[in-house]
Amino acid sequence: MTFSRRDFLKAGLAGSLAVGAGGLLSACGTGNTIKAFTTSTAGKPRYGGTLRAGLTGGSTADTLDPISAITNVDFSRIDNLYEPLIGLTPDAQPMYVLAEEVTPNAKATEWTIRVKQGITFHNGKTLTADDVIYTFQQILNPKTPGSAAAGLASVDAKAMTKLDAYTARIPCSTPFATFAEALAIPGYSDIIPVGFDLAAPAGTGPFKVKSFSPGTQSTFVRYDGYWQSGLPYLDEIVITDYSDQTSQVNALLAGQVDVVNLLSADVISEVQGEGKNILLSAGGGWNPFTMRVDTGTFSDVRIRQAMRLVVDRQQMLDLVFGGFGTVGNDLFGIWAPEYDHSLPQRHQDIDQARSLLKAAGAEDLHVTLVTSDIAQGTVLAAQVFAQQASQAGVTVNVEDVTVDEFYGTNYLKWQFAQDYWFYNFYLPQVSLATLPTASFNETHWDNSRYNSLYAQAIATTDTSLSIELAHEMQQIEYNEGGYIIPFFPPVIDGFGANVGGLVPSKSGLSLGAYDFKNVWLS
Amino acid sequence: MTTATEATERVGPTSKAARPHPIRDLVIKRSLIGILTLVLVSILIFAATQTLPGNAASAVLLNTATPQRLHALEVQLGLTRPAVEQYWTWLTGVLHGNFGKSLANGQPVSTLIGGRILNSLVLVVLAGAIGTLIGVGLGVLAAARRDSVFDHVLSVTSLGVTALPEFVVAVVLVIFFAAVVIHWFPAVSVFAPGTPPWSNPRELVLPVATLVIVVVPYVFRMMRASMIDALESDYVQMAQLKGVPKWRVLLFHALPNAIAPTIQVIGLTFLYLAGGVVVVEYLFNYPGLGQALVGAVSDRDIPQIQAIVLVLAAFYIAVNILTDVIALAVSPRRRLPRS
Repeated sequence: MTFSRRDFLKAGLAGSLAVGAGGLLSACGTGNTIKAFTTSTAGKPRYGGTLRAGLTGGSTADTLDPISAITNVDFSRIDNLYEPLIGLTPDAQPMYVLAEEVTPNAKATEWTIRVKQGITFHNGKTLTADDVIYTFQQILNPKTPGSAAAGLASVDAKAMTKLDAYTARIPCSTPFATFAEALAIPGYSDIIPVGFDLAAPAGTGPFKVKSFSPGTQSTFVRYDGYWQSGLPYLDEIVITDYSDQTSQVNALLAGQVDVVNLLSADVISEVQGEGKNILLSAGGGWNPFTMRVDTGTFSDVRIRQAMRLVVDRQQMLDLVFGGFGTVGNDLFGIWAPEYDHSLPQRHQDIDQARSLLKAAGAEDLHVTLVTSDIAQGTVLAAQVFAQQASQAGVTVNVEDVTVDEFYGTNYLKWQFAQDYWFYNFYLPQVSLATLPTASFNETHWDNSRYNSLYAQAIATTDTSLSIELAHEMQQIEYNEGGYIIPFFPPVIDGFGANVGGLVPSKSGLSLGAYDFKNVWLS
Repeated sequence: MTTATEATERVGPTSKAARPHPIRDLVIKRSLIGILTLVLVSILIFAATQTLPGNAASAVLLNTATPQRLHALEVQLGLTRPAVEQYWTWLTGVLHGNFGKSLANGQPVSTLIGGRILNSLVLVVLAGAIGTLIGVGLGVLAAARRDSVFDHVLSVTSLGVTALPEFVVAVVLVIFFAAVVIHWFPAVSVFAPGTPPWSNPRELVLPVATLVIVVVPYVFRMMRASMIDALESDYVQMAQLKGVPKWRVLLFHALPNAIAPTIQVIGLTFLYLAGGVVVVEYLFNYPGLGQALVGAVSDRDIPQIQAIVLVLAAFYIAVNILTDVIALAVSPRRRLPRS
């Protein structure tokens, strides 16, 4: 089925254009005409019904434990069962959820958290400061460190105190001005009640567990005691794990599921042609190429810059994501207030790359790029990179390994590889990835000027000063860094005409960051 | 008299012990070999999973696998112990009926795959039974009308279908009957964990149909060939000359003699189905053993891989033994001792 320009215009008039990033999302340049991406045609909110979600990316390792959850699909359940102190708006800006106020002292070495009153967990317990302290103790337990542990390493877990029933004081061993931002990473710092039992998981979220079988199916029912009045609309959510996109799309087209996640661009026209809708979000997640700056070939900054210059970013997006997504500039944290949009966009420049390589004495460069199917499009992006690099005379040998080998003992040690990250604010991301003390410093980046700028930024509560410092840090990364960040991948989801309330999210998570409390069925 | 008694006494006991009972002997001997095979298979699988880089801990932690977290989880899962010790713990557990806990989610393997064994078995048995009936029936008809249009069409079609892999058949069926052309059946076979597959008959239609279409040609062609052999034999001509009705000749004279070689093919069909369900389960998202195996391999979940492979291997061995037993039972002359 093909669409004429008239169909396109009609669709554009009928539905409101709800593309998350406005002008940043470019339609693909391949000449396909694609219908407008509508949010909902499902009318006014309505109560009741069961939302059936068909999601890929799960496995029998799926978990309901918010402390150790990792994958995109884990978050589809976790984000509806539990809630964080601070969450993200659809535009990826922080907003209070369970917290009423989170404030630092002047030196950002101590934070005071006050939670809202009158919130109850699914097990009937009232949310208090004890639960906040308990949650941080669980995350930072050295024997079983949680997914958020690396990002909250500055918190002094032993010295946390309760000021009153709803207020906790969180001291930090080093200044930690970004604590509030770090709490907002979706799904990492959800609050669990004291004595949390994974066998009967209780959160404060809009839905509670009815059944859960990892890698197969899980059912959640409306929590009638939910604190946000009038929500949720749905009575029940059934999340079914799908092993691949083909069966997932078939299920959507056959009306067996209402929403599906993580589609590739090539099924968009098929989905729309059968009367279903596409939700396109400009994710802030990023899938970098990682070059080790400390040893080997890439310790020469000229070679790193040459590798950044061989990338035709728009072509890579066209080939890997059908032209959707946002072009990157080798910098992360695109939606953060600190992101420096003033740095010139880097374009492919083969001549410049060749001359840099010549200056470095690496005209006949051979490198091995380790890739794996770790996120949508990573392997394809590696192949496109190899192709583009060959234009500058660089031979890239793409080595495709299994996911568990990729994240095995060589992870964080590969000379030249890839990775994927969900959206994070700029400075918290630095603390995870580009400091000598960072847990995931895969490029082995250790720049003394950069480190001292970070130390100043993390110790000030003056926003404009920290933005200024962050801009200088990005300048250094832009000129010398070990990351190639060619793009921010789009998030493409599908949904039936009966589904309302889905809003694109810039977090990089699917289906409006799985915010099912605001979803209804008509 | 005396000599006769002596003779019986002398010969009696030995002849009783040596009285041939080929079916019992075969079952005992093959079962013992089968158990040995299972042990060898488990050692092979375990060794294979050990030599691969990465492990269950890195498969679970993905991009949060800092060296500290990796180590903590490896210790928790017991992956830092020597390989031989890990295998021994697993083996003694199995001998006590305990298949261990999944490395991916800590649940007992038996509860994870118990329901899935049933789901896959229903798929295999249904597809095998329906495929056999259709294949045998069409084979008999084609042989009876040898060289007719009916026979030629069937033969050519079956040759064509043989060339189609199951994923093509499945995709075509889904396009026609589920997703695009008509929406008669579900495109994917999802049912709530804990509900038996027969309570969701609509979900079974397309996966079973896919497998049936794939296996029918083999049974059909074997049946047709051996039926033609039987129909050309002297005893069938004799029966025809005697004026026995044609259907009687087909069903009571030719078929019993033609079925023996077909039984081997039917056995092979079931063996194929045990492997073929992996692809079909994956395509239809059918919650069976094959789908679990694919997931367990990517999770590097050794206890689950081991349990599923053991179940599949045991099924292979059992079907092999059963096929030989049935083949023996339907061909009396092969039951006689060779002299």
